[in-house]
Parts: sequence; C-alpha cells; structure tokens
Amino acid sequence: MTERQDISGWEFAEPEVRATGRARGLLRNALRVRRTQVGLVITALVVGLAVVGPFLAPYSETEFVGRPLAQNAPGTLFGTDYLGRDVFSRLLNGGVSVLILAVLCTLLGVGVGLLVALVAGYGRGWVDELLMRISDVLLAFPAIVLALLFLAIWGPEPWAIVLTVGAGHVPRVARVLRAAVLDVSSLDYVRSAEAMGLRRWSIRFGDLLPNVTGPLMVEAGLRLTYSVALVAGLGFLGLSGLEADQADWGLMINENRTGLTVQPWAVLLPVLAIGLLTIGTNLVADGIARAAAGIERRADR
Amino acid sequence: MNQLPSRRDVLRGMVVGAGAFAAPGLLAACTGQSGQSTGGGQPRRGGSLRVGVVGGGPEDTLDAHTSVAHPDIARVHQLYEPLMSRDRDFQLVPVVAESVEPNRDLTAWTVRLRDGITFHDGRPVRPEDVIATYRRITDRQDPKVGAELLSFLDTRNIRKLDPRTLRFDLDRPTALFLDAISEYFQGIVPEDYDPANPVGTGPFKYSSFEPGQQSVFTRYDDYWRGGEPWVDEVTIINFAEDSARVNALLSGQVEAINSLPYGQIPVVRSNPELEVLESESGNWNPFTMRVDAEPFSDPQVRQAIRLLCDRQQMIDQVLVGHGALGNDLYAPFDPCYPSDLPQREYDPEQARSLLRRAGHEGLQVELVTSPVSQGIVEAAQVLKQQARGVVDIRLRQVDTGTFYGENYLSWPFAQDFWVTRGFLAQVAQGSLPNSPFNETHWDDPEFISLVRAAEQEPDEQRRCDLIQQAQGIEHERGGHLIWGFINLVDGYSTRVSGLQASRAGQPLDSYGFRHVWFV
Repeated sequence: MTERQDISGWEFAEPEVRATGRARGLLRNALRVRRTQVGLVITALVVGLAVVGPFLAPYSETEFVGRPLAQNAPGTLFGTDYLGRDVFSRLLNGGVSVLILAVLCTLLGVGVGLLVALVAGYGRGWVDELLMRISDVLLAFPAIVLALLFLAIWGPEPWAIVLTVGAGHVPRVARVLRAAVLDVSSLDYVRSAEAMGLRRWSIRFGDLLPNVTGPLMVEAGLRLTYSVALVAGLGFLGLSGLEADQADWGLMINENRTGLTVQPWAVLLPVLAIGLLTIGTNLVADGIARAAAGIERRADR
Repeated sequence: MNQLPSRRDVLRGMVVGAGAFAAPGLLAACTGQSGQSTGGGQPRRGGSLRVGVVGGGPEDTLDAHTSVAHPDIARVHQLYEPLMSRDRDFQLVPVVAESVEPNRDLTAWTVRLRDGITFHDGRPVRPEDVIATYRRITDRQDPKVGAELLSFLDTRNIRKLDPRTLRFDLDRPTALFLDAISEYFQGIVPEDYDPANPVGTGPFKYSSFEPGQQSVFTRYDDYWRGGEPWVDEVTIINFAEDSARVNALLSGQVEAINSLPYGQIPVVRSNPELEVLESESGNWNPFTMRVDAEPFSDPQVRQAIRLLCDRQQMIDQVLVGHGALGNDLYAPFDPCYPSDLPQREYDPEQARSLLRRAGHEGLQVELVTSPVSQGIVEAAQVLKQQARGVVDIRLRQVDTGTFYGENYLSWPFAQDFWVTRGFLAQVAQGSLPNSPFNETHWDDPEFISLVRAAEQEPDEQRRCDLIQQAQGIEHERGGHLIWGFINLVDGYSTRVSGLQASRAGQPLDSYGFRHVWFV
C-alpha cells in the first residue's frame, strides 16, 4: 500500500507538466492558422476599445450634448443618441460590462461543465446517467429562455446574469467534454493508472484533463462567443445589470432602434462592436479546433 | 415593448377626458360640430380607411364599457357615444344628450335626449336605454371601467320624466357629474345590449372583429350628424411593434397610425405623401414623492427636488421638443388653471440651500422607474443627470409587473403617467386620501376642504377661486414634480383629409374617423 502511494505521488507531477505543455503546444499550433491570427487581431481591437475607451471618451456617457437623434450634432463624431447623448462616448463606455460579464459567464460555464464531464465521463454508472439525463432536460431549453426565466425571478443583477448564462453553458460543455473524457478513459495509460491504485480524482485531473485540453479550449472559445451574444442580447432587452443611464452595447441597440433611419450610427456602431467581437472569438475558437484536430496544415494550404 | 394593459391602465392611464366644467346653461346651445376640416377642399363620400393602432392582443374587446388597450378605445369611438364628450378644445359638448342641466345645488341633473337619434339597428334611444346603460356600468357584481367615476350615483335614482327626458338624483351635490358622463367608456347602449352584437349610436357599425388582429366597421347611414361619416368603411389594425406600424404607413398599407415614435417624425415629415398630426394634450408623466416618507416628508426636500429639474431640457431631450412646460400642476386645460403662478425654474443653488436647511446635504435617493409608458425611463435618466452634484439619484429600473405589484402606491420616489383631465376629476383619481391612485399619499386638510367646497359650488367663478387656492397649495408643497405636458404625435397619408389636432387627449383626433374623407 505505502509503495503504491509513493508511486502515485511521483506519477502525479508528471501529467501536470504535460497538461500545460500540451496547452502551450496547442496554442502555438493554433497561432499558425490564419483564422486564429485574424480572430486574435479583431478580438484585441474590440477588447482594446472597450477597456481603454472610457479613458478616451470626449464626453461623459450621461451628458446631453445636443438634440436627440441628430446625425451631425456639433462637437460629436457620430451624432447623438435618442436622449441627445454622444454616441461615440457611449460606444467607448459601453463595452466593459459586456466583456466582463461574458468572460465570467464563460469561466463559470466551462469550469462547472468540465467538472460534470470528469465526474460523469469517468464515474459512469448511475452518476453518469443522472447527470446526463439532467443535462438532456436542460438542453431542451434554449439558453436565452432559461436566462430570462431566472432573471425574471431574481432581477437583472450582474451576479444573476453570470449565474444564469453560465449555468446555461454547463450542459452543453458537459456533453462535449464527457464524450472526450469517455474516449480517453478507455485508453491504456488510464487503465494502468487505475491498476497502480491511483485515486479517481487524481486520474481525472492527472490523466484525463490534460488529454481533453483540445476540446476544452475549443469549448471555452465557443462559449465565450455565445456569452458575448447572450449578454448583449440580455442588454438589448434591458437586462444588463446596469443603471438605466449607463452605456451598454446591447442596450444602445434597443434604445436607438426606432431612430435607425434617422441616426443609424447609434445602432450601427454597437452592432459592429458586438458583431466583430463574436466573429473574432469564434475565429480563434475555430483555429484552436483545427489545430487540435491536427488538420491545420491541410486545411490552410 | 408593449405590455398587456392592466385594470390599472384602464383606471389611470387610458381613462381620458373629464375635467373642465362648461357652464351648464351653454350646453343646450351647442349641438354637434361639422366634420369639415381646414384645407383639403370639400369632403367627399366613399373609400375604405385603414388605421394602424398600437397595442392590443387576444384580450381585445368590442364591449362599450370595458375597453382597455388602444385598439379597444379606437373601436369604442366608432361604435358608441356617451351622453356628452370633449371637443377639440376640451370643451364639453352634448352628444347623445341634447342638453344636461343641474338644479340649483347640483344634486339633481336633467338630461334631455337628442331628437331622432337611433341605434345601429334602427331603434330610437329611449330613457330606458340610458338607465340600463348606467346599471350595466355600475353593476356591483361586475363593475365596468366607468363605475368608479359614478360613485355619487345610485342608479335606482334615475327616473324617466317623459319619452325624451331623464332626471338623475345624486347622493351628494357634485359638479363632477358632467365629467363622469363624458368619458368615451360611458357609451349609451340599448336596454338589451349584448357585446356579441355590439350596437350603439356611433358613426360606424360593426362588421367584423378578430381580437388581436383587426376589426372592420361600416358607415351608419342614419348617423345623426348630417353628412358624416364620409368613408364607407373603417378597418382598425393592431400593431404591437413601433417599426411595423411606421412601415405600414410608409408603405401605404394604412392611411393613418397613432403614436408616431419621435425618432420617426423627420422621416414622415420628409415624405411628401405623409403628414404629422401633432396635438397638445394635458397628458403628464410626473415624478411622485411620498409626502409621508423620509426624506420627502420635509416640504423643503420636495421643493429642492422640484428645483433640480430643468423642465425645458426635459422636454427637449425626452420629448424631442414635442411638449409644453409644466409648473408642478396638472389639468392645464381646466378653465380654472392658474396660469398666472410663476413658472418654477431650474435652480440647483436654491435646491442646495434648501437641502442644507433641511439637514439633507449630499442627499442620496432611489428613484423607482419602469417603462410603463413612453418616455418614463428616459425622464428618470434626465433628472438623474440634472440633479447630479446636489442630489445623488440612483435609478432602480423594475419591470412593469413589479412596478404595479405589491409596492405600487408605496414607492417613496417613483414615476407614473396620467392623461388629460379637468382639475376636480384628476383630484378624485389621485389627490385625495380615498383616491384610488394617491401615489404621493397627499392628505392635506386645507387642500381637501377647498376641493370639497369647489365640487359643491354651483357658481363657476367662485369654483375657480377655490380651485386656484387648492392648486396654489399643491404648487407650494405638493408631492408631484410635473415637468411638462406631452404632445400626441400621429401620422397620416395625404390621401385622406379631415383629421385635426385635438386637445381631448386621445390620438388621431380622438379616433375621429367620421371626420375623414379621401381627397
């Protein structure tokens, strides 16, 4: 017994190194794919705009600078919004909330989804059945419907948005990663780790996790894309978790859409920002997927 | 977003009109107006008019006395008519009645019916029909929208005097009788009225109805106003979405729409085939401060908040200029409205010193806002910005269900929307301790005794004096911040003529399609 324990301790360190090494290798491969490069540049541009924007904005996001929905109000770059505030300043101020919420939703959804997948995919038996049937039921609901249901109960607090949107990701992430875990768990090195008497959680994190890094990163990228879309969509519906006068890209689209034909900038700019952000993160996720599948060379040549 | 209207909308928002007292003696003299409009030449018969109206849904109704959503109200105006109504100048005019006259102390009112007026099935309107109508409205088992306004009426005390005359004996003397019978939801229906076979005296009669979709009405050939209506048919189409309604107008699917979004006004103006119909109204979206809740229980705090509102900027930003200045008083079309009171101006310095005196320097308050009507959340954002630096207003936006939920009428600092009414009718709805919607918890003994006296005062001049004193009290220490009055903006095609601006408080010339003809 004691001998086995020693071995397990010794064995445990190795896959950890391998896990980070594998992720790094995967990213390196992914970066060679053109779509990842394009995606990264686009994402960086939008993220940069959102993060640095509030410091560059010519006006405050709540200040009135002219008549509502004026396309060429003096002193403004892109005119005024439906209340006469500077569209450009609101664009620069309106991205941070979307970004932070989307990242938190993704972390929560992918993290919990991964745990569920490791438990279900490697535990098998009734635990697997139970978890997967629950997730089947949850999958039957569109994510936005679930989110709206719970936000109606809790109110549009930021934590509630993260919780509902993140929870909506869990069954989707769990399903994909469970399949990956299942594939890996029948391989010889898992069997041998079992034969050595390693604890199941050590095997999950030591042997299984490193070998599902590919699908994990792809899922993370995809879920980030969906999170951005969902958070912006909730913002459009007025559920941004912010005070009514704060800028938010999703909300900007809704507020200004009746004036679309008169002052298109107020809608177009936030649409562009959200569109570019989702395209960018999606390209990155796609690039990682291709690198993980090992088809990047053939696909790109 | 459009919400299903609640009973509260009926009572509060969409219940329109009621207010100024025309001198009763004059009523007999004014009969119906002609529908002739300025410009557009001579009215012509014929054509089928299609109108897009905001809102409505599966709960839509043709009932004369339970209309809730805008399309319901539009339909009611075609099918039915009350004893009296408001004209374009917000004056009371007789409709089904030929005259309505009180006795000396306002306890008994004599109504004479118009000669020769008939229901759509050809039967004449009899006193029995009027009595049955008011019994139906005030039915204890199933009170209709207008029941609350008739609290002073026991229908057992309506008596037929002769085949064209009735006498209403009221429980208490009140000049509010005229307001109460002049609402569009008090339409006169036959004694055997059945909403499934909607028969009234209105300019158009029922043809077809699909709830939530559209309804069709045809010209009533024996309508009592000579000439009107000019068109053969009216189709009222529900539109839930602003952009769909505007697009229907732009593409010629309908000849008129109500509630043109401010953002679309330039689009309609720049189109030579379309016109904008803008009507002044007495509709108001106040901020409401509870006079019995901290910190607003101190009149100095209420005064300070009122001084922190730049009213012209409010109109410019929220209404894109389509409104009139408010002076913290409602009922601007009431003949007794005190227009000589000084206009309250934006004065943050004065507000700051008032707050300092009240011990509320650096005051923080929470404003509960909700998209219950167009411009409400917008106004909250503007006030927050205007008060910045003196009072820190935090906006708490809730959905309409929550807003009208259990905390409705107890939010310390919130907003609401009201429609055009005369002063006493508005007071009955919102400014007395027993009013159904006293959102500011206003309970001022001096105010109450002035209002009571005014309600029972037969002499118009003396009544106005009392009303102006009461309004002076509200102007000084009331709980409302009333920054402006909202213009109604509709759109119509130049293919039709006859619609005019109206102060009666309903869109599209009070849905006055009887005035319309095709050019």
